Amino acid sequence: MAKTTGKLELRALTKEFGNGSEKVVAVKELSLTINPGEFVTLLGPSGCGKTTALRMVAGFETPTSGQVLLDGEDLSALTPDRRPMGMVFQSYALFPHMTVFDNIAYGLKVKKVSTAQIKKEVGEILDSMNLAHLTNRAPNQLSGGQQQRVALARAMVVRPKVLLFDEPLSNLDAKLRAQMRIEIRSIQRRLGITSIFVTHDQDEAMSLSDRIVVMRNAVVEQSGTPEEIYRRPSSVFVADFIGRSNFLSVAEVKKGASRKVTVEASGVKLKVNAHPKALKSAHPHLLVRPESVSVKKSSSSSKSRKANEGVVKNVVFYGNHVEYSIDTPTQTIAAVVSDPVYDEIVPVGAVAKIDFDESRAWLLPSDSAVITSEE
Amino acid sequence: MALKRSGTKYDIFTKIALVLVVAIVFFLIILPLLNILIYSTQPTGSAIITNAFSDVVIRQILWNTMKLGLTVAFLGTLLGFIMAYTQARVEFRGKKVLHIVNLVPIISPPFAFATAVIVLFGRSGIITRGIFDWRPTLYGYTGLVLVLTLSFFPIAYMNLLGMLRSLDPALDEAGSSLGASKWRIFRTVTLPLLIPGFAGSFLLLFIESIADLANPLIIGGNYTVLASRAYMAINGDYDIPMAAGYSFLLLLPALLVFLVQRYWAQRKSVVSVTGKPSGRPTVVTSRLARFFLLSVTFLLTSLIVLVYATVVLGAFVKIIGVENSFTLEHFRYLLGGFANAAVRATTFLALMATPLAGIFGMLIAWLVIRKVRRGSEALDFLGMLGIAVPGTVIGIGYAITYNDPVKIGGVTVFPQVAGGAAIFGGAIAIVMVYIIRSSPAGQRSGISLLQQIDPSIEEASASLGASGGRTFRLVTLPLISGAFLSGLMYAFAHSMTTLSPIIFLVTPDISILTQKILAEADQGRYGNVFALCCMLIVLIMVIGGLINLLVRRFQVSTDRPLVTGR
Ligand SMILES: Nc1ncnc2c1ncn2[C@@H]1O[C@H](COP(=O)(O)OP(=O)(O)O)[C@@H](O)[C@H]1O
Ligand SMILES: [Mg+2]
Repeated sequence: MAKTTGKLELRALTKEFGNGSEKVVAVKELSLTINPGEFVTLLGPSGCGKTTALRMVAGFETPTSGQVLLDGEDLSALTPDRRPMGMVFQSYALFPHMTVFDNIAYGLKVKKVSTAQIKKEVGEILDSMNLAHLTNRAPNQLSGGQQQRVALARAMVVRPKVLLFDEPLSNLDAKLRAQMRIEIRSIQRRLGITSIFVTHDQDEAMSLSDRIVVMRNAVVEQSGTPEEIYRRPSSVFVADFIGRSNFLSVAEVKKGASRKVTVEASGVKLKVNAHPKALKSAHPHLLVRPESVSVKKSSSSSKSRKANEGVVKNVVFYGNHVEYSIDTPTQTIAAVVSDPVYDEIVPVGAVAKIDFDESRAWLLPSDSAVITSEE
Repeated sequence: MALKRSGTKYDIFTKIALVLVVAIVFFLIILPLLNILIYSTQPTGSAIITNAFSDVVIRQILWNTMKLGLTVAFLGTLLGFIMAYTQARVEFRGKKVLHIVNLVPIISPPFAFATAVIVLFGRSGIITRGIFDWRPTLYGYTGLVLVLTLSFFPIAYMNLLGMLRSLDPALDEAGSSLGASKWRIFRTVTLPLLIPGFAGSFLLLFIESIADLANPLIIGGNYTVLASRAYMAINGDYDIPMAAGYSFLLLLPALLVFLVQRYWAQRKSVVSVTGKPSGRPTVVTSRLARFFLLSVTFLLTSLIVLVYATVVLGAFVKIIGVENSFTLEHFRYLLGGFANAAVRATTFLALMATPLAGIFGMLIAWLVIRKVRRGSEALDFLGMLGIAVPGTVIGIGYAITYNDPVKIGGVTVFPQVAGGAAIFGGAIAIVMVYIIRSSPAGQRSGISLLQQIDPSIEEASASLGASGGRTFRLVTLPLISGAFLSGLMYAFAHSMTTLSPIIFLVTPDISILTQKILAEADQGRYGNVFALCCMLIVLIMVIGGLINLLVRRFQVSTDRPLVTGR
C-alpha cells in the first residue's frame, strides 16, 4: 500500500541553545529525506540531539537554521497545531482529567468533527487496539502499557501524515516493551504513516525500523537499513553502539581483486569487505561480530599456541548459545556459538582455536572513539 | 499510608510522644475551645447563636462576614492566578524580583497595608485627593476588600504557581500536536487541571479573610464582621458569653471550610504523571494575552511597591502627604520609651516560641507519617487546629481559660498563665499562642518531606538497636532539618506579626509590638505606625536571617534524593 503523501524532508536542520560561551549545538546540519510510509529511527546515546531534532520536526523548537518540508511544502511558518503530525510522548502526556474516550476524541473535537462521527471513529480505534473495555476509565486507572496504547490511539485517530515518537517505550518493562514494539510496527505498516521514532535502545531501533539514523554529538554518524548499520557500520562508534563487536588490529592491508581487501589479523590472512575510507585510514580496524567467530578445541598447550589460538577465560552456557571470551596473544576475543553441542564446549583454561568468518567481517576506518566493547 | 511500618507495636518513645502531643494540643487549643462552647451556652451567648438568623443586626454581621470572605476569596484567587500564570508562562525581564515582591505581603505586619492604603487612597489620600481630587470613602467593605485581597493573594499565588510548575509540559504539547490552539489548550487542559488549586486557594483565602481582625478594626468603619464584633463584646460590652457566642458563629464556618479544604479539595488534586515530565512549558506569545497579563502584573506590583514605599517614607517624614519634611521624631519617640519594652518582649517571646513550635510541628509530622497507624488523620487535624481556628477565637478562648488557674474538681491542673496577675505577667499564655499558631507550618513541611524519605532508613536504625527516641533524634530529625528550618523561619515571622489572639492577652507588664501598632493606628498617628512596621520588618529580617545561619550550620545536606527504590 504505497502511499503518496507524507514525504518528509529535513534540510540542514541546526539547533543551538544558549549563546556566547554557554552555547550548545544540539543538532548540526541534519539532512534527511523520509519517504511516504517509511519508519525511520533516530538512534544515539543520551544527549546527542535526537529529541531536539524530533521537536524541530513537530514545531516545538524553532530551528536556528534549516528547513522541514512535508510533501515539498516548507513548514517553517507553521506552529505545532497547524502541522499534520501526531506525537507520542515519553510521559504519554494523557490528559489526567479526561477519560480514555475524551483523550482520544480531543483531536477530533478540535477538528470540529461531528459528535456521531467522533463516536464512530474513537470506537473503531478503541476496538482495533483492544481498548474498548477501558473507554470510560481515567488515565490513572490504566496500566503503563494501556496508557501507552491510548496515547498511540490519540495520536493516530486524527490521521496525521507523520507520527513522531520520543522514546515512548522507555517507561515500560522489558516484556511489555517487546510486545508494544510489534504492535506499533504493525499498526504503522497497516496505516502506512510516515514515522520518526527516537530511542537510545539499539534493539528497539533494529526491530522497528526501515531505516536507522545513528546520531552522535549533534551530527548524523550513519544512516542506513538495520542490516547495513549492523553489517557495514561506517565507524567504530556505530559498530560499537549497535551490538557487540570485536575490533581486531590488522597488519598488511592490500587492495585485492574485485572489491575485497586482504588483511592479516591474529596471524591469519582474510579477504574482507571494506569501508571505502578504511584503506586511507592509518590504523583500520577489522570488525568481527562475536557470532562470526567460530571456536574449536585445540591440542596446543597454552605456551605453544599459535596466533589464532587463545586461552578460554570465561564460558557462559545459555542453552541456545554459548558465550566465550578468549585471550589471544594480542587481545581478548568475544565469541558466540549458537546451538552448541554440549561436549564440544571448550572449558575455561583450555586452548581454543578461533576462526573468523571472512565474508562477514568488515574493515573500518579508525576514528577517535574509544573501543569499549571488551574490557 | 504505605510509608508506615506495620505490625509492630508502638515503642515507648512513640507512646510518650503521643501522650505529650495530645496533652499539649489539649491545653493549647482544645481547652480554650471547650470553654468558648461552655460560655456560649450562657444567656447572652446563646442568645447570639439562637438569634443568628432572626436578629437583624446579627444577621447583618453574619452576611457582612460571608460577603467579605467570598469577595476576597474570589478576587484573591483570580489575582493570584494571574500573577502565577504570568510568572510561569510569560517571558519578561525582572521575573525574580516580581516573585519576591509578590511574596512580601505574607510576612509583613497586618497593618502596613491598611494604613498605607488609607494614606494613599483614602478620603484625603495622596493619590485619590492629591492627584484626582477625589474623596472616596475607604472605610468599610471597599477598603477591606482592597486591603485583604492585597494581603492574602500571595497564598493563592504560591499555591497555583506550584501547581502550574508541576504540570507536565508535554500535556500542552500533546494538545498542540493534536491541532489545538494555545487558547484552546488553556481552556481545555490548563484550567481544568488547576481546578483543585483554585478550590484550595479560594477556601484558604475565605478562612483567612473571615478570621482577620486587624483590618476590620482599622479600616472596617461601620462594616462590622464577626471577628470585630467579638472583639467589641470583650472590649466594649465586657460580656464574655456574648464574645463566646460570636466566636462560635465564626468558628463554625472556619472549621467547616478548613475541613473541606484539607480533606476533600486536597485529595482531588492528585494529578497522575506516569513517565518523566518532558519538554518545556508553553510560553504565552499572543500579544493581546501578554499585554493583559503584564498590565495586571505591573499594576499590582506597583501597588505593592507603592504601599511599602509609603510605609518606609511615612516612617521618616512628619506626616506623609501633608508635611513631607524628613524627621526621625517617630523613631525617637518609639525608642525613647514608648516601644522599647514591646520590642524586647515581642522578640524574646517569639524567639522562645519558635524552636518549640518547630519541634512540636515536626514531632506531629513524624507521628502522623511514620508512627500512628489508626487515627493519623485525626492527629494531623488536631495539629492543624491552631491555624484552622480564627485567631480572635483563640484569643478569647485563652482569656476565658487562663485568667484563672484551671481546676478540675478543686485541684489545679494548670496554673493561671494569662492576665496581669499571672506568673511572668501573662507572658506564658502569649508564648503558648505563638506555638500553637505557628507549629502547623512546620507540621505541613515536615509531612511533605517525610513522605519523600524512605522509611527503611529509619528501620535500618531500629534494626541496629537504636530506640525510637534515638532514631528520631539521630536519623529523622537531621533528615528533615530542611523543613525544620523553613518551619522555624515561618514560625518566627508569624509570631512577630500576629495580632488577633494576642490582643486579648496583653497585660500592663507585657506589651506586644502589633498591639502597639494597633493603638497608634487607632489614634491616627500613622507616622508611628509606619515606623513600628519598619522596625518589625527589620527585626524579622535580621533575626530570621540569624536563625537561618544558625540552623544551616547543623543541617545535613539533603540535596541528593533519598528515595531510591519503592
Ligand atoms: N531547552 C534546552 N536548553 C538548553 N540546552 C538544551 C535544551 N534542550 C536540549 N538541550 C541540550 O541539547 C543537547 C541535546 O539534547 P536532546 O535533544 O534532549 O538529546 P537526546 O534526546 O538525544 O538525549 C543536550 O546537550 C542538551 O543538554
Ligand atoms: Mg531525548
